[in-house]
Amino acid sequence: MTALITQAVILGILLGGLYALLAAGLTLYFGVMRVVMIAHSAFLILAAYLAWAFHRATGIDPLFSLIATVPLFFLLGVVMQRFLLSRLKPATLTMMSVLLTFAIALIIEGMLGFVWTGTQRRISLSYSTASLEVFGANIAVVKLVAFGLAAVSLLALYLLMKATSFGQALRATIQHKEAAALLGIDTEKVAGYGFGLGLATAAIGGTALALDSTIYPSLHWHWIGPLMAIIVVGGLGSIPGAAIAALVLGLSQSLLQIPLGTTWAQTVFYLALFITLMVRPQGFFGGRLAQRF
Amino acid sequence: MPNASDLATPTPTAPDTGRPDDSAGERFDRRLGLAKAGLGVVAIVLALMVPWLAPDAFILSVAVVIASYAAFAVGWNFVGGFTGYISLGHASYSGLGGYAVALLTTHTGINPWVALVLGAVVVALLAVPIGIASLRVRGASFVIVSIALVLILLLVFQSWASVTGGSEGLRVPRPFDSSVLRPEQHTRFYFLFLVLIGIALVVWWLIDRSQFGAGLKAIREDEDKAEALGVPTFRYKLVVFVISAFFTSLAGGLYALWFGNLDPVFQFSILTGSYMVLMSLFGGIRSLVGPVVGAVVVGYAMEVFKAQYGDSQFHLVALGLLLAVVVLFMPEGVVPEVLGLVHRLRPAATSIREESAAQLLERNRAIDAERRAQTEATSEREPVEDPRHATTGKGRS
Amino acid sequence: MSVQQDVRPSLQTEGLSKAFGGVQAVNGATVTFHEGKVNALIGPNGSGKSTFFNIVTGMIAPDSGTVRFRGQDITRRAPHRICAAGIGRSFQLCRTFPRMTVLENLLVAVRPTGLGQLVGSSQNRRQVERARELLRRVGIDHLEGSLAQDISYGQQKLLELAGVLMGEPDTILLDEPAGGVNPALIGRIGTLVKELNAEGRTFIIVEHNMDMVMSLSDHIVVFDRGAPIAEGTPSEVQQDPRVLEAYLGV
Repeated sequence: MTALITQAVILGILLGGLYALLAAGLTLYFGVMRVVMIAHSAFLILAAYLAWAFHRATGIDPLFSLIATVPLFFLLGVVMQRFLLSRLKPATLTMMSVLLTFAIALIIEGMLGFVWTGTQRRISLSYSTASLEVFGANIAVVKLVAFGLAAVSLLALYLLMKATSFGQALRATIQHKEAAALLGIDTEKVAGYGFGLGLATAAIGGTALALDSTIYPSLHWHWIGPLMAIIVVGGLGSIPGAAIAALVLGLSQSLLQIPLGTTWAQTVFYLALFITLMVRPQGFFGGRLAQRF
Repeated sequence: MPNASDLATPTPTAPDTGRPDDSAGERFDRRLGLAKAGLGVVAIVLALMVPWLAPDAFILSVAVVIASYAAFAVGWNFVGGFTGYISLGHASYSGLGGYAVALLTTHTGINPWVALVLGAVVVALLAVPIGIASLRVRGASFVIVSIALVLILLLVFQSWASVTGGSEGLRVPRPFDSSVLRPEQHTRFYFLFLVLIGIALVVWWLIDRSQFGAGLKAIREDEDKAEALGVPTFRYKLVVFVISAFFTSLAGGLYALWFGNLDPVFQFSILTGSYMVLMSLFGGIRSLVGPVVGAVVVGYAMEVFKAQYGDSQFHLVALGLLLAVVVLFMPEGVVPEVLGLVHRLRPAATSIREESAAQLLERNRAIDAERRAQTEATSEREPVEDPRHATTGKGRS
Repeated sequence: MSVQQDVRPSLQTEGLSKAFGGVQAVNGATVTFHEGKVNALIGPNGSGKSTFFNIVTGMIAPDSGTVRFRGQDITRRAPHRICAAGIGRSFQLCRTFPRMTVLENLLVAVRPTGLGQLVGSSQNRRQVERARELLRRVGIDHLEGSLAQDISYGQQKLLELAGVLMGEPDTILLDEPAGGVNPALIGRIGTLVKELNAEGRTFIIVEHNMDMVMSLSDHIVVFDRGAPIAEGTPSEVQQDPRVLEAYLGV
């Protein structure tokens, strides 16, 4: 029993790491543009498919697909912000951007199904079945690799935000766009890069996901719900908040799987979402920003 | 201390825009009113004749599907159109409505029509706590909750197979006895949907002209401002949200009775919700008939698309592209756009309403310059300075 | 500071505080505004005046402190309930409902007295008459059918004021009524304020235009760094060294 719980805890943390990275991306979009990016998880699955296709075509480890997908997604993000989202009227931006990104999610899902059919896909690697024993628990190596990838990316994102002047501009834009503009920050440009960064997290997350999951075009709907719940619980716009909420909820999901099974354990996200909105609508780690949205 | 009055230059008066309508304009308005009424009558007559115009049972069933889309879209538009809160998860209410009818009729044996209304009441009651949670904060959270709700209901209804039948499906007892043949069934349901749409539109119209409706529209335009003017925004939003859930649930229940079988994957589908949004938006969420027009046009197009290409993945791409185009290029919807075009034909270039703020500004400035050149005329009416051009060095506290 | 005998408190705050992140926007503000007078709230940019307004009208919840209106505690009440208590407000950058007509903009502010009025037509004849009367009063009655987004900024300011009056408030908070408008219109708004004050309405005005403040107000409160540093009549405030220091940074 203890081994089971240890295993659940470790798996929960590993899963939470991936959630945290993806939620950070969602938070970035929201921070810079006040946009709820529904297509985030669709891009996640797109990246997973690209990793899978790359592996199938070349036989090289799918991790190397990152070399192409991360810059590509970054660019896509910048383009999306500049040519689609910034076209929307500010007054109705929140609602219309939801619809626009929703439409993009549908297009991606449809194209994935069109190009690679709806068949379930899975990457098989030399180390796919390998596992490590940690405190009596069996942990698949691919999960550790995925977590490592997420953790390194989160750390890089953190350093970028804290230690570089671009990060400073980004944080200023997130906190108060008008004030940042008054300080001479080109907030439109920063918003574009922020969007690019957000999409880059989807590229990394997708590759990590492809390592140990079966993928299919409509899988993104299973990700968007939990991720949305995480950013609301964390307080819209707060990256540390999203990361903490991601870990806590990932861990809870993993632990609840023992008594409830995988399906019902997922409801923890929605329960947390509902409770948060009833008790503390601004989220548990959010500031003034979250109250207004 | 910088002072607004130091920097603002007096500008001559803006043109009096409220000039009395000339008779040509009035005549145009009267004709337009007649044309609208005529169009309405023709549309209603055509809608009523569909069962006799349809060549076969299949086309008739497509008509029922489109009518159901229209009923969903009108139900959705109570919350979307009045408050501007876009729910992507209204499939929750249509799906719940369907299951409520099915479960009530099979387990209690009550009359299916009573079950339909009772089910919708239950769903409306369920919508109260959901509304309380999701309407507490502004738009973004509302959308998130609306999507999350569909996903969670899908999860629950798939897993709770002992009650819902899970993926095996749940059979809905037929409300008409077996002597009623299929085409006749279609005809009856078609008219039932028309009645439902009619009732919903009347309620929508009543709200639209009421004090309650004025408050709701104010919320759509500027929620803080509405609050400050004394509109109890939260309560208003909640009430209209529950009304919307009620009508959507009725439409869902009616659909379930017609279709006869429920599967969670189709009942709680994100796509169903997005159809409602797309159709309403396409037609125009701020107009009474917009969602109906949208449902007919988009619904027809989608059914044709399905018939031509099958229910392939391309269907998703087409839906996505259409939604993106509507959001980017005509967020006001077809009906208002067309009406705007028609109004532009009105004699004497007339009413200022069709001018954008930018155009107005442009015109005002041209007139201002002209007048300034003529004289340093004193102004009798309020001379005003547009803040976007007044370079007041003043910041904000 | 002279306190006259006939002063009755209108809006009062005690120890009101609000911080945004690390910035203390309002810092233990204890202020009393006088009933039946034109009160002004002035201070340098960023001294917390707007945040103070937003707390008082319920748009923002304070971290601590109380707000009283005629002795009644209204702290943390929803904005619409504060409005119902008799406090109306305008917004700093003039906010109207852009896609509603001028007349409709006013009819929003009608407070339904019962269910019948709530579901009855908003174009109720009596209310429409009252709205037209107010539009005449501020001088934009000829625009009643235009959409608010199509009228000029100055007209929108007048429309906003008329909308506030529609709710029949006895205390009116104006956030920069002279902001962004030309002198002629400033004069007109000033006259309106004087007239309405003479009819018994209390005003609390945040304003940067000192000419307007000095000519209009009976009582001035000076804010700096989120709290009042001085108050009194216009002449008293003008001579107060603390005020000069706060403004000029001497």
